[in-house]
Amino acid sequence: MQILNKNKLKAALNKLAETADVFVPAARGENSGFYSWKTFDQEKDELMLEALNVYLPPKNVLFPQTERMYSFQEEGSGVVIKESFEDSSPTVIFGARACDVAAIDCFDDVFLTRGYEDTFYKSRRDNTTIIANACYQPGPNCFCASMGVNPTDPATADIIIRDTGEDYVWEARTEKGTALTQKIADLLENKEVKIPELQAFSKNVEYDGVAAKLKGMFEHPIWDKLSEACQTCGICTYVCPSCYCFDIQVKSFGEEGYRFRCYDSCMYREYSQMAGGHNPREDAKERFRNRFLHKLEFFQERYGKPLCVGCGRCIVACPAGISITEIIKEIKEA
Amino acid sequence: MKDISNKIKEIAKKLLENGQVDIFMAWEKGEYPFQTKPFFARNTEEADKIIFDEYSIHNLSNSLLKFRDRPEKIGIVVKGCDSRGIVRLLEDNQFQRERLYIVGVNCPGMKDPLKAMKNNSGFGKKTEEEDLADKCRNCMQPNPVIYDEILGDIQEAHLEGDRFARVKEIENMSPDERYSFFEESLSKCIRCYACRQVCVACNCRTCIFDETKPQWVGRESSSSDNMMYHLVRASHMAGRCVECGECERVCPVNIPLMLINRKLIKDVDQFFGPYEAGMEYIEGAIPPLSVYRENDPDDFI
Ligand code: SF4
Ligand code: SF4
Ligand code: SF4
Ligand code: SF4
Ligand code: SF4
Repeated sequence: MQILNKNKLKAALNKLAETADVFVPAARGENSGFYSWKTFDQEKDELMLEALNVYLPPKNVLFPQTERMYSFQEEGSGVVIKESFEDSSPTVIFGARACDVAAIDCFDDVFLTRGYEDTFYKSRRDNTTIIANACYQPGPNCFCASMGVNPTDPATADIIIRDTGEDYVWEARTEKGTALTQKIADLLENKEVKIPELQAFSKNVEYDGVAAKLKGMFEHPIWDKLSEACQTCGICTYVCPSCYCFDIQVKSFGEEGYRFRCYDSCMYREYSQMAGGHNPREDAKERFRNRFLHKLEFFQERYGKPLCVGCGRCIVACPAGISITEIIKEIKEA
Repeated sequence: MKDISNKIKEIAKKLLENGQVDIFMAWEKGEYPFQTKPFFARNTEEADKIIFDEYSIHNLSNSLLKFRDRPEKIGIVVKGCDSRGIVRLLEDNQFQRERLYIVGVNCPGMKDPLKAMKNNSGFGKKTEEEDLADKCRNCMQPNPVIYDEILGDIQEAHLEGDRFARVKEIENMSPDERYSFFEESLSKCIRCYACRQVCVACNCRTCIFDETKPQWVGRESSSSDNMMYHLVRASHMAGRCVECGECERVCPVNIPLMLINRKLIKDVDQFFGPYEAGMEYIEGAIPPLSVYRENDPDDFI
């Protein structure tokens, strides 16, 4: 099998970075997320390939928090579009975990299927190669396997790397993956190594049947109780790799300006505010319910899978200690 | 603390049983030993779950806002910082004193469940275990300032040195240095607005950041919009922030919100004080910067 010795990792990243913007999991100050290798500070930043995962998911690579769409200018009595900002620069996501890859699959469903193609997303996605880092030691908040994700074999990754201690087993899965592999071919070696065994999950949840059950639970009193502690702070939606809601806004300066989109969150009151003043989700309960129904029922109905990939980030980050696995359990018991 | 926890439980049961309150706000245990989370008990059976331990850091006073337009009578447990939040709500006319039964706890200092969760998660780098949460290491008022009943022994302030030390450092920077410091630190803000949502002083019914006509602050996560957000948030806190530290504690990307808040606390104290917000509740008292006078000597804000 092909392997990349860990001593050659930085050389490989440098090589890949010659022709693409490579995003790596790293700790930067007190934070961690996927940062461009170009901006990686060898002294201050720390590669996090060996950590379980990083706190902020790689979703910003394909779906930036703020993304310019097009600029416009007033001309005569009308407006003309000056420039459209579709980004087709080659990009690599290096070392995403299976849950985060599965979340990108959800984005693909939303932005590319059902007769609607988001060209901004598509142009990024087509030019992005995903190198997944297989997981063998799930953390205390991981429950991806319960949500239908295989931690050691993210199906849609272009390349899978497997950490054996000294080396990464390197396995190209797609044409894109093979093309990228060729770029670092001289850094790879052939060697038989032992692939680690997947350790048991400490967190498991029974998701089967939840979507069907939720169908009849819109008015269930359980939502009052479950949502009580929630402060609708929105952190869960921002750290979630699969939350994709956005808003389209405009910035204008005199006779010109641009449109951009930015993350939005169903946890905000303004999110469901309507032009006439009515808000169908005025209270925390309604917003909270929407988040879980979207993740566990609506998405399942539309795309045949939940919109939760079991990464556990929301559980770790919620100031009110709200846990989606506990909620799934409560729904089952209700 | 076990003792206090049991007493709180008893009080909650008594109040719920004799109908003195409809809801009793305290904490319960979450999934992990270090996870203590807000809990609202509605009957004596539920009250059995109530707990007070070294992780009961979450300021519950903000949760009262969920009930501001409703009739329920509410029992609530407050530490020193939380109690100043109650004063904030009373002074801002967001809650009526008669609707509250306040159980104060003289606070020995707390640990932060969010930090512990993060450290236990495998996400990113581990930080050192701390005996006292950041916010408690700068706490000047661990003893509740308003209550109907008080538990625990009076505590000394937990201040470790001058709580304005870092503010002074920043004040002494050159304007350029200062600008790049803030540009650097605020560039990380993901604009989730969690710092607003958890803040007891952020009690406006329609927040300026949610206004769309006109939109006062842009929604881009860019250096200029981020700075605008933080400038507006901070100035709205002038004379109102009760230093509970929740904003900084929950911020998912560690923005130094307390540094900004403390600068304003220091300035308000210096220019309009002596004043510390939320230190006592006097009915009808009007805190600095909350007065509107037509003959104000300054003609702008
Ligand atoms: S992180 Fe927790 S408190 Fe914040 S919106 Fe999500 S569930 Fe609610
Ligand atoms: S809902 Fe929570 S556990 Fe599920 S994918 Fe989002 S952050 Fe991860
Ligand atoms: S800030 Fe003060 S009162 Fe609040 S939890 Fe910490 S020590 Fe206790
Ligand atoms: S400062 Fe922190 S909590 Fe506030 S909006 Fe920015 S990222 Fe969110
Ligand atoms: S600004 Fe921060 S410290 Fe001040 S009252 Fe609000 S949450 Fe507490």
